[in-house]
Amino acid sequence: MANHTTHSEEPAKRHKHEGPKKHIVAYIFSMLLTLVAFATVIGGEINTSFIYILLIIMAIMQVIIQMGFWMHMKDRGHLFPIVGILSGVFVVFTIVIMAEFWTWW
Amino acid sequence: MSAHSHLDGKLPHEPERATLEGRNKVLGFWLFLGGETVLFGTLFSAFLALRDQVGDGNPTSQELFKLATVAIATVILLTSSLTSVFAIQAMHRGQVKAMQNWLIVTVVLGLAFLGLEVYEFIEYTHEGHQFSTSAFSSSFYTLVGFHGAHVALGVVWISLLIGQIYRKGLTVVTAPKVYVAGMYWHFIDVVWVFIFTVVYLMGKVG
Repeated sequence: MANHTTHSEEPAKRHKHEGPKKHIVAYIFSMLLTLVAFATVIGGEINTSFIYILLIIMAIMQVIIQMGFWMHMKDRGHLFPIVGILSGVFVVFTIVIMAEFWTWW
Repeated sequence: MSAHSHLDGKLPHEPERATLEGRNKVLGFWLFLGGETVLFGTLFSAFLALRDQVGDGNPTSQELFKLATVAIATVILLTSSLTSVFAIQAMHRGQVKAMQNWLIVTVVLGLAFLGLEVYEFIEYTHEGHQFSTSAFSSSFYTLVGFHGAHVALGVVWISLLIGQIYRKGLTVVTAPKVYVAGMYWHFIDVVWVFIFTVVYLMGKVG
């Protein structure tokens, strides 16, 4: 055990090991978002476009939790991944909007 | 600490970033995920464009979807995302055994998700919603099936990694593989968030 403390002391000064607490909070948040999303649809007397907007907002919040906390995108040194994923998202939005308009308008 | 005993000397704090190869793997994997985003984006756009093209007498999304199954599948996949985070955290602490256990839990949850999806698809085909029934059914099975195939691949991949680490231990060579597999698993979860929102919930609303 003494061996272990000498092992972990040195890097611990620079990097603190993050505990599971933050991730459990993130998990509870994503569960709540899921619950609210399903509840609005099952309850569903509100008008359709309002539900759509609400659902999309909750999906985006879920993604922020997943990518920010769990894929460590909020940590420093993640400029390339952020730029990469955002350009992917840009392409996707263009494709989705194009397909919708091209097919139906 | 027995967890350290089979490692050759000390393992760095973030073993996945200890070597240039490891860092390149992570960066390369982000590029791959960018490509995957576009792939799923095209499948989503096809689904959104075709989801009302049901044809005469075929089941619509409102008639078809059962939200209970989808809700259970969502909870399973979100939980598996958390367990894969725990695996990576265990790896950062050098606790190989705990990491392996969390990876096994992740794989089991992935299998449970797949089982539910297979059950769901079988139900749908019995209700006359087959791959070639309508434009809606084709785009539905392509999108959701592609996601399911990704889950299946992830299950096989992580299982093989568990085996490799059991044999070779956690090193600067094996650590980036686990890290990257964790990223893949979160990405699958992100895609599922959009599937349950756009396909199932919006399909139920109409």
